Amino acid sequence: MIDIFQEILSSPFIIRAIIGSIFIALVASSSGTFLVFRGLSFLTAGVAHAALGGAALGLFLQTSGIIPWFDPMMGALIFSVFVAIVTGYAGETGISQRMEVAVGVSFALSMSIAVFLMYYIPPTQVPQVWGYLVGDILLLGYVDVVLLAAIAILLVIITLIFNKEFIYVSVDMEGSLAHGMNARAYHYLMLITSALAIALATKAVGAILVFAILVAPAAASNEIFNSVRSVMVAVFFIALFSEMIGLASSLAIRASPSAIAGIVAAMSYVVALQIRSYRNRVPEEDIPPPSYSSVEIFRETTLEGGTPNHSTDH
Amino acid sequence: MSSPPMFEADGLAVRYPNGELALHNVSFSINAPSFTAIIGPNGSGKSTLVKTALGLLTPLQGYIKIMGYDSVKETQKIRKLVRYVPQKDRIEQNVPLKVKDIVLMGRLLKKSPPRFTSGKDKELSRNALKQVHMEDFWNRPFPELSGGQRQRVLVARALASEGSVMILDEPLAGTDAESQDLIVEALGKFHKENNVNIIMITHDLNPIHSYVHDVLLLKNTIVGIGTPCDVMDPEILKKVYGPTAKVVEYAGHRYCVTRDSGFDRHD
Repeated sequence: MIDIFQEILSSPFIIRAIIGSIFIALVASSSGTFLVFRGLSFLTAGVAHAALGGAALGLFLQTSGIIPWFDPMMGALIFSVFVAIVTGYAGETGISQRMEVAVGVSFALSMSIAVFLMYYIPPTQVPQVWGYLVGDILLLGYVDVVLLAAIAILLVIITLIFNKEFIYVSVDMEGSLAHGMNARAYHYLMLITSALAIALATKAVGAILVFAILVAPAAASNEIFNSVRSVMVAVFFIALFSEMIGLASSLAIRASPSAIAGIVAAMSYVVALQIRSYRNRVPEEDIPPPSYSSVEIFRETTLEGGTPNHSTDH
Repeated sequence: MSSPPMFEADGLAVRYPNGELALHNVSFSINAPSFTAIIGPNGSGKSTLVKTALGLLTPLQGYIKIMGYDSVKETQKIRKLVRYVPQKDRIEQNVPLKVKDIVLMGRLLKKSPPRFTSGKDKELSRNALKQVHMEDFWNRPFPELSGGQRQRVLVARALASEGSVMILDEPLAGTDAESQDLIVEALGKFHKENNVNIIMITHDLNPIHSYVHDVLLLKNTIVGIGTPCDVMDPEILKKVYGPTAKVVEYAGHRYCVTRDSGFDRHD
């Protein structure tokens, strides 16, 4: 047992993976929760793929010599923010269906740009573009951890300061505006910080883990808990638990940690649905026995109304 | 100098987001204090009128003002003095808020961040819930309430808030008779006891008939304006609601019977 801990503590890549997991769980709890509240879980996939388009553009500008100093990471972040702004614009009135459509359209646009530009990027560099989608938590570099920590901490601070505003924007955009809150500014702030966090997290740990960890734990907690705070706390722990199970099983049985974490997170949603339906079941003893049988009611009505029996009409 | 009208518009024209002309040549002026009802059939531009007044939509032509403040140039001033009750299906049910969180919203939205809840906020919110007989629901999850109860909580949110103009968008649509009575009674009493003007969009003028001073009858433009009994003119109503509209007189008041009911939205 002690050997295992010693092995873990002596392998920097496992320590980086554990630290990364904690930050991803923080992103899930502060950003994933609100995305699920707003019916915007698809934004995660949209932003991750937009980052791919941005990275392709960045690499194209760099390798073609048009803007040699342009970093692919910058392109990825710019495109993520672009998706957030288009989505935010579509949802200014607070209707989530429109935002989902906007995510779909900007996602398709960014992917098309990515594929188009990949043709003009030297083939040896193309895998670098795909790298924005297929990171792995066990391959986290030092820079990745620092970037992830920075955005996660920023996101947590912003969510702590503006949690009421974010809740109000999610629950009643129109009412919030009419009562004098600058709801649109908070709406964009929420989407843009989420997009930046998703883009950096995807680069660091890969798309599958980000999709699974940002959506499933929030959806699960929202089925079970009755206050925003308890949902956010539960999201953090479900996310962290899924990631730890993923890491542990990758060490034990050589499985992909992201895949295992994704499966555990998805299972948490299934379990939450079961708990919810179990709770909603009405115990038999709570149903009052019928006070009248339908036959008696029928008899009373016919007697009171004095309706003649049909058979005597003939 | 006399105070400006509570609610006025001149030559107002507004488009729906889908491009259709919702309102044209809307001109009226209503003085404070007033309990105003805006009535009209589906798609007549009732919600569009108040949303324009709140600065949520921009006029194509003309202007609309609340308490003398222009909806475009002085939006923030209008929003400071307005308490608003949106249609209840505008409230996202997916967020796990309690009844108290919704009512406290009315107080906290009027503050600047960090919007801390004071003892006074809680007291006013509980008091507002009491007025619509929902005080026992303080800690209950809002999404689990019935439609009528949710509407009562939203009215309580406006009662607890601050500002001299309360605007309600269809607060009686899709609610049970008990909730309707409670809401109407609470609004009537609130208007009488406090210096708060009420502008209420409704399909059915009858439940609020005895409280209302001014009625705007809309069908994309102003068709009638006056007291409830003035507007209950069979000829005017037939123009708006079609030949099935009837006016009945009861206890010295005129009531309108139409086949029109339910929500209308134009997103």
